[in-house]
Amino acid sequence: MKTIKKKSPKLKQKPLISKKSGISLKLSGQKKKSLPKNSIRNQKRRQLKRRASDQDKTRNHLGEVIRQQADELKFKNGQIRSWEDKDRLAEEQVHIRTKAMDSTADGIFIIDAQKPNFPVIYTNQSFQKMTGYTKREILGRDYFDLYGTDADPRIVREIKHTMLQGKSFHGEMLSFQKNGKKYWDLLRIAPVRDPSGTVTHYVGIQADVTLIRERDLEIKEQREELLHVTRVGKLAEFVSSLAHEISQPLTAILSYAQAAQRILAGREPQLQEILQYIINDDQRASEVIRRLRSLLKKSKPTLESFDINVLINETAMLMATDVTVRNKVLKTELDTNLPAIRGDRIQLQQVLLNLISNSLDAMEGRDDSRELVISTSRKGPNMILVEVKDSGCGIPAENMKKLFSHFFTSKPDGLGMGLSISRSIVEEHGGRLEAKNNPDRGATFYFTISVDKKDVS
Amino acid sequence: MMPDKKQVYIVDDDESVCRALKALLVTYDFVVETFTSAEKFFSAVPYSALGCLIMDVHMSGMDGWEAHKRIVASGSKRPVILISGDKNSGFKERALKAGAVGFLQKPFNGKMLIDLINQVF
Repeated sequence: MKTIKKKSPKLKQKPLISKKSGISLKLSGQKKKSLPKNSIRNQKRRQLKRRASDQDKTRNHLGEVIRQQADELKFKNGQIRSWEDKDRLAEEQVHIRTKAMDSTADGIFIIDAQKPNFPVIYTNQSFQKMTGYTKREILGRDYFDLYGTDADPRIVREIKHTMLQGKSFHGEMLSFQKNGKKYWDLLRIAPVRDPSGTVTHYVGIQADVTLIRERDLEIKEQREELLHVTRVGKLAEFVSSLAHEISQPLTAILSYAQAAQRILAGREPQLQEILQYIINDDQRASEVIRRLRSLLKKSKPTLESFDINVLINETAMLMATDVTVRNKVLKTELDTNLPAIRGDRIQLQQVLLNLISNSLDAMEGRDDSRELVISTSRKGPNMILVEVKDSGCGIPAENMKKLFSHFFTSKPDGLGMGLSISRSIVEEHGGRLEAKNNPDRGATFYFTISVDKKDVS
Repeated sequence: MMPDKKQVYIVDDDESVCRALKALLVTYDFVVETFTSAEKFFSAVPYSALGCLIMDVHMSGMDGWEAHKRIVASGSKRPVILISGDKNSGFKERALKAGAVGFLQKPFNGKMLIDLINQVF
């Protein structure tokens, strides 16, 4: 009976219990019957004895039944209790799992594998946060839509292919949030199979590794920059010895050709012309070496205080012939109310010459773009802004980033050193050299330069 | 040797440079002798012999600076034009300071060399 006392309230309403109560009533009814007191006592006693024995038997039997039923009840009760416990446990586990899945920083999702178009049937909060879509937007939607339209289609195809083959995918890809913001997605997708081995679902975990990725990139860039610097140093040495070696045969070629010209003296005009071409090209080669050498030469800056406008005017005069020959116009728009700057005149002139020459190149062969404007203005209390604006071909977006890298050039005969050296000169002067495309056409290269502290007004 | 022709010596360790400069100078009626080292020049030409010297700065063995110093030290009045394939803005100044009559950066125009020789000699 202990088991009955222990039973849970739910159990009281079950039919099994009412059956048990019925048995108990019958038993108490039997007990209430009284015995006769007459002469045939012995017989009666025997009868009584027999009856008692029968009753005992019945009682015993009933007790057995009760015991059995109690045991059964005990067992069933235990079973129910274990089911309940299991239910409770299962419920608890589901709760814990859901909570865990929602509180993890990784994005988790489940895709129904038996429907076409990879519909997402579960998403945790981190996945929603990572992708920028709400739960409602995600559920039922094709999983591959959630990468954004700019995602690399080759990678998307590869992931789909791997999944359809029932294999796990593991990789990193650039994905796009709902608002277009990109993020690096470390992704694992694995198939979930039923006992027969059929893939029923795909479960995926993804982590946003943008920060790690960016740091890696930064380190890589720094390393590359260092390599560049070393390479430039090595190149300078190499160029110097190369220049020396090449200048020897160039000297000889030039002298031979000039000697031959003199020997012919007025005869063989065709040969004379050819010799002149040899001389011209010899001088062109010498010029290339001279330029290369002067670009790689790095001397210590000699700082002095001077008017940047004067330097610009001087430089413009130096370039005047080149500008006229190329059928271009160089204008200056100089702020006459500027303080003196402090810097290396020669080096800054090199920067100006480089920018002007680049601008002229950008306008080469374009009759409609002729104007080159150099302007100066005050930028804050300590800086002066110098802008070199052309109306040329502009800078293609893909070149914008590489523009100041060593060895990058868009010109067939360029060295790819001019802008990188110019930038390092400007930076050594505490300024910045940048480039931008003009809203209408052409590009503007602009740099800042510190004013002489003694001359700050 | 005809007395009206000027004597020029060329010292350069690059044979082709020697030969080419000689070819050019001969067309201007100079009498030219070439040497591929300073040592060879000194052993062949006495200080007293007249003539302008065109000499490379960078040479194996005795270099142009050293050879020039030796000429100056000897009290010889020989005009010396130093030439170099290395671009170093300090070279010209150094050469002139040392008493050279000129310095030319290779490759140079023949006319410049001729003018310089005629100017000093």
